[in-house]
Amino acid sequence: MEAMAEHSQETRVTGESGADKIQERLQRRHQARAEDAERKKEAQASQSVAEEKSGYFLSTFNAERASIEDLLSSCSGADRAVVTQTLEEATVKTLQLQKFLNDSMLFLTQYELRRAQDALKKLLTSSADIREEALPKKKFAFRARSKATDKVSAPPVTDTPTVTDSTKVDVAPAESVQCCFSNMDNVCMIKTAEEINKQDVLLTHLTNCKVRLFGSPSTLHMTHIDNCEILCGPVSSSVFVDHCRNSTLAIPCQQLRTHNTTDTQVYLHVTSRAIVEDCRGVGFAPFTCSYPTLDEDFIVSGLDRHRNNWSQVDDFNWLAAGTPSPNWALIPEADRKTNWEL
Amino acid sequence: MGLLTILKKMKQKEREMRLLMLGLDNAGKTTILKKFNGEDVSTISPTLGFNIKTLEHKGFKLNIWDVGGQKSLRSYWRNYFESTDGLVWVVDSADRLRLEDCRKELSSLLLEERLAGATLLVFANKQDLPGALSKEAIQEALALDDIKSHHWCIIGCSAVTGKNLLAGVDWLLDDIAARIFTTD
Repeated sequence: MEAMAEHSQETRVTGESGADKIQERLQRRHQARAEDAERKKEAQASQSVAEEKSGYFLSTFNAERASIEDLLSSCSGADRAVVTQTLEEATVKTLQLQKFLNDSMLFLTQYELRRAQDALKKLLTSSADIREEALPKKKFAFRARSKATDKVSAPPVTDTPTVTDSTKVDVAPAESVQCCFSNMDNVCMIKTAEEINKQDVLLTHLTNCKVRLFGSPSTLHMTHIDNCEILCGPVSSSVFVDHCRNSTLAIPCQQLRTHNTTDTQVYLHVTSRAIVEDCRGVGFAPFTCSYPTLDEDFIVSGLDRHRNNWSQVDDFNWLAAGTPSPNWALIPEADRKTNWEL
Repeated sequence: MGLLTILKKMKQKEREMRLLMLGLDNAGKTTILKKFNGEDVSTISPTLGFNIKTLEHKGFKLNIWDVGGQKSLRSYWRNYFESTDGLVWVVDSADRLRLEDCRKELSSLLLEERLAGATLLVFANKQDLPGALSKEAIQEALALDDIKSHHWCIIGCSAVTGKNLLAGVDWLLDDIAARIFTTD
């Protein structure tokens, strides 16, 4: 009996320890689950910012709304100046609230958003009512201008022009600041670096002229050139040729744009590309002339002496790939001009 | 809410704008584009067709379309009008002879229905040249004060030195952003 009792006690003990074990295991499992949940919660919290909780939004929004309502209610009975000031303050606050709502739109539910918008609308109408009541408009009258036209007639110009009569615009081509040589017939003209370096040079309406521009202009424009021979030093940016015929041009430059030009030879050093548009009978050859200060002028212009794409000409009126444009050609070596004496 | 918030935030970050850059040939459109993007400007050829650059600036994704300005390409400009948020009109401030051309082309653009909502930025480019007209002179020559249909602004700049490019683009972005990204 004793033994049995002992035995049963033993089993009870083992039974008890088994139950303990299960309980312990359950507890551990529970704890692990709780930890897991905690971790998940933390991970979620780290992704959402306190300001993005709808609770935060609602409390802030409501507090702000209440303060605006207080402002509005304080208007009744006050005198005109006070009302004006209070209304002003209320309007500013309402606008800020609207902005706050806009910024919070991302994380609000539709319902919360709609409620907030309704509240804002109410605020706006009540402030408008108070304004109407306390600061009545003058007697009804027709206004000449509507609000809409008022808006467009004042474009948001950040730099307000200060054009006075003394700075009247002069769009005439001849002006002292620009190097302009125009309206000449049968003239030999030589210009040196002092006159044209870093200048934007314009040659226009020249007939039967010989022109030498020894120097490095910043840009060069040539229009209405007839039967002329023009040699120019390295141009640091673009050369623009328009309405030129029966002429010979020699220019190093960064870009060449040739328009409305016929029967003209171009001795070219171009570091990017040359183009022709609305041209006929334009010949291209490499720039080989030389004059005493050419090396210096190249340095001033900053052009790369070793890159010359004189033969790669794009014709904007001839976009067919494969077949060459009939509007321009390379000048055969035998026909190239070698003598550039003046 | 976690994932949705992230998605919405990404969406908001993708604030895209489409800018169309036009002007007469030799105005410096491509140079402005490349300089703004920090690229070498010494090897630029006259644009035969168009260039597109997508770049990020001030949190906006800008799709800038630079279309060649040669006479023979101007009739194709209309192909690029659709859904343009900002029009950048580039003027060679030293090219006095073609200012009238420039004014005509701009005013015909502004009549275009598909550009009706676009903000206009005029770059009076090449201010580094000694013979360049001032911003005020360009404003008068192009009769900008007569424009009532678009928000506009003129800024004198130099694409070669990069001066004022940022100021111009910043103004344009602010104006467009105020118009299209405010919640209704």
